[in-house]
Amino acid sequence: MKKMIALLLVVGLMMMGLVACTDSDSGDTGTEAPVAEAPADDADVAEEPDEAEAPDAGATDWSSFVLDPSQIPQEKLDTELHIAVSIRGLDNPYIVTKIEGMNMFSEWLDSIGQAHTTQVLDSGGSNDVEINNMRQFSALAGGNAIAYADPNESAIAPALAEAMAEGGGFMGTAWNKPDGVGPMDFTPNWVIHTSADNFTGGYETARLLFENMGGEGNVFVIEGMLGNTAAIDRRRGFDAALESFPGITVAHEDTGNWLTAEALTLTETWLNVTPDVGGIWCANDNMATGVLQALDNAGLLGEVGVTGIDATDDMVAAVRAGNAVATVSANGFLQSSYTLAIAYAAWTGLLDVEELPQGYREFFTPSVLVTTDNVEQFFADFVENAPSFDFTNIFYARASAME
Amino acid sequence: MARANAKTMTITDEFAAKIKLDHKKERLMKWTPILVLVVMIVVFTAIMGNAFFSVGNLVALLNQMSIPLMVALGLTFVIMIGSIDLSINGTVGMAGSLAGVFLLNTRTEFDLGIWGLVLAIFCSVLIGFIIGMMHVKLKIPSFMVSFAFMNICIGIGMLSYGGIHPTIEDPFFRSVPQMSFLGIPAIAWVAIIVFVICFFIQEYTPFGRYVYAVGTDETVPRAVGVNVSRVKVMVFTLAGFCFGVAGVVGALRLGQGQVGIGTGLMFPAQAAVVIGGTALSGGKGGVVNTLIGVLIMTVLFNGLTMVGINPHIRTGIEGAIILIAVILTVKRGATIISK
Repeated sequence: MKKMIALLLVVGLMMMGLVACTDSDSGDTGTEAPVAEAPADDADVAEEPDEAEAPDAGATDWSSFVLDPSQIPQEKLDTELHIAVSIRGLDNPYIVTKIEGMNMFSEWLDSIGQAHTTQVLDSGGSNDVEINNMRQFSALAGGNAIAYADPNESAIAPALAEAMAEGGGFMGTAWNKPDGVGPMDFTPNWVIHTSADNFTGGYETARLLFENMGGEGNVFVIEGMLGNTAAIDRRRGFDAALESFPGITVAHEDTGNWLTAEALTLTETWLNVTPDVGGIWCANDNMATGVLQALDNAGLLGEVGVTGIDATDDMVAAVRAGNAVATVSANGFLQSSYTLAIAYAAWTGLLDVEELPQGYREFFTPSVLVTTDNVEQFFADFVENAPSFDFTNIFYARASAME
Repeated sequence: MARANAKTMTITDEFAAKIKLDHKKERLMKWTPILVLVVMIVVFTAIMGNAFFSVGNLVALLNQMSIPLMVALGLTFVIMIGSIDLSINGTVGMAGSLAGVFLLNTRTEFDLGIWGLVLAIFCSVLIGFIIGMMHVKLKIPSFMVSFAFMNICIGIGMLSYGGIHPTIEDPFFRSVPQMSFLGIPAIAWVAIIVFVICFFIQEYTPFGRYVYAVGTDETVPRAVGVNVSRVKVMVFTLAGFCFGVAGVVGALRLGQGQVGIGTGLMFPAQAAVVIGGTALSGGKGGVVNTLIGVLIMTVLFNGLTMVGINPHIRTGIEGAIILIAVILTVKRGATIISK
C-alpha cells in the first residue's frame, strides 16, 4: 500500500515537473541568452518551477534548504567518511577542476570537523574499471561513502548506482545517464543526476560565432566523439542556431574525437579546400586549441572566429587575446563540490532523499558563457583564483530541473 | 602445355621453376603498394581537382605524414625481428608531454630549451631499452611488456603536467611549425632525417643485416655468433628513439605537451607497416616499404577528410580501403623457399 502511495506521489510529482519544465523550456529555445552570466543568477531563475513542483503551500522550499553544520550529530562527525570522484582520465583540464572541487569540499569538511578521506577513482576510459572501482570503494567504506561519478558512458550510470547502493553509500552522477532510468530508481543511494545544458552551450557558441561573422560565410564544424551524449546535444544546439542564420554555410564537418591533434589535422586539410572560412565551431576546447594552432600555422590566427566549450585555460587566454570568440564554462568546481555536498547532506541524515522531488534529483547546473565582454571577470574569478562556495546552501548549483 | 612439360621436368627443374615464379611474384608485389598509392592520388585528384594537388595541401600532407612516419619507422624494425611494440601511444604521448614540460611553458618552471627536447627523447629511448631488456632477459612476450609500458608512460606523461596541458611559450619552438626550408616544413625535415638515419642503419650497418637475420630465423645468426639478445634490445631502443622524436615533434606541432599526442597512432602505424609490405612474421620488408605505407595511409585520411564523407560511415570506409590495400599488397601463396 505504501509503495502504491509512493508511486502515485512520484507520478504526480513527475507530471508537475514536466509541466514546470515545459514552461522553462520555452525560454530556453529562444534567442535570448539562456546561459547565465553568473551562477547566482541561475539560482534565482531556478525558483520559478519550484512553486509548480510543490503541491501545497506548506511544502518545503528545497531551493533554500540549508545544511546546518551544528545540526550534524557528533557521532557522524567522528565517523570517517570516504569521499571519491570517479572520472575517465586525468588528461583533461576540465576533469581536473572536478578534483579541485572535491578538494574544496574537503576543506569545508575540515572546517566543520568532519573526519574524512578523499580519493580519485580513475577508470582510464573503461566502463568495467569504473564499475569495479565504485564497487570496491563502496564495499570498503561500508556505507560511509559519498561520491561524484562521471559515468564513462550513459549505459553504466545505473550500474554505478547499484554498486554504491550495495555498500549503502550516497552518490551523484553527472553528464551521462540513459533515458528512462534515474536517481528515483535507486532511492536513496543515487541521490542526484546533474548535467550542464549541452544543447544551450552548443546553441549559444554557434550563435555568437555566426554573429561574429556578420551572419554569413563558411563555417567548419568539429564534432565530439560520435555517439557521445554531450557531442550529440552540443551538435543539436549548433544545428538549432544554424536555422536562424540562412547566410551561413557548413563547408566541412567531421569528428575530432575530442582530440587536439585530430582537430589540427582536420583544419589544416580543410583550409586548402575552403580558404575563405569565416568561423570554426568546436564541440570542446581541447579541439578548439588544435584549431587555433592550425590557424596560427596558416597565418590566420585572429582572422577566423573560433568557439569551443569547457573554458580551459588555453581557450580563456585565446578569448582574452581576441583569437577566439567564445567558450562555455560548465564549472567543474561547482559540479563536483555541490554534488558531494548534497550526497553529504543525505549521509548525515539531515536531507531526506525520499522527500526530494524529481526536479531536485535531476537538474541542470549553471554554465557561464565566456566572451570578450566578460572574459576578464571570468579570468579573475576562475583562472587566477579558485572560486569559493558556501556549501551549506546545497542546491546553489541547481539552475533548472531537467526535462 | 604445362602438364606436358611437367611430365618431362625433373624435380630440380620444377624446383627452379617454382623459385623463379616466386621471385617474379615478389618483384610484382614490390610495386603494388606504389600502384595503390598512385591510384589513390589519381582518384582524389579527380574528385577534388586542384585542392588536393595544391601546394598548400602538399605541405599539409608532409606535416600530417611526419609523425606517423617516425612512429612507423621505429615499429618497422620491431616488426622485422618478428616482435611487436604496443607502447607507441604511451611513449609518444610521454615524450610529447615531457617536451611541453621541459620547454618554457605555462605549467612548470623549466626552460631547458633544446636540452629539454633531448631529455624528452632520452626518456623515450630509456623506455625502449627497458622494454627490450625485459623482453629478452625476463622472456616476457614483447606485446605484453610494451602494453604495460604504454600505460606506465601515459601515467608518467599525465603526472608531468597534472591534467592541465602545458602550452609552449618559448618563441623559437613555438614558431617551428611555421618554419620551412626549400618549401618543405621543418617538421617534415625532422621526419626525413629520421628516415635517412633508419635507412642507413638498415642498409649499411651489420646491425641492419642482423635484424633481417633475426627476423627470418634467429637460430641461424645465433649459430654464427651474433648476439641475438643484443640485437633485440637495440631494436627496441631504436624504436624508443623514433617514438621519442615523434612525440617531441608532435608537441611542437600542437604548441603544447599532452598525452593525447600519442592517442590513436598505434594501429594506423601497424597498418602502414603491413601495407608497405613488411611481413608481421618478420625478416621481410624495410623502411622504404614503410615510407610507402605511411604515404598511403596519410593520403587516404587526407583525401577522405577533403571529400567530406559523413563521419558516421567514414571510419568504416577507411577500414574497407585499408583492408583492400592489405589484400593487394601483402604477399601470399609463396612457398617457404623464397622467404
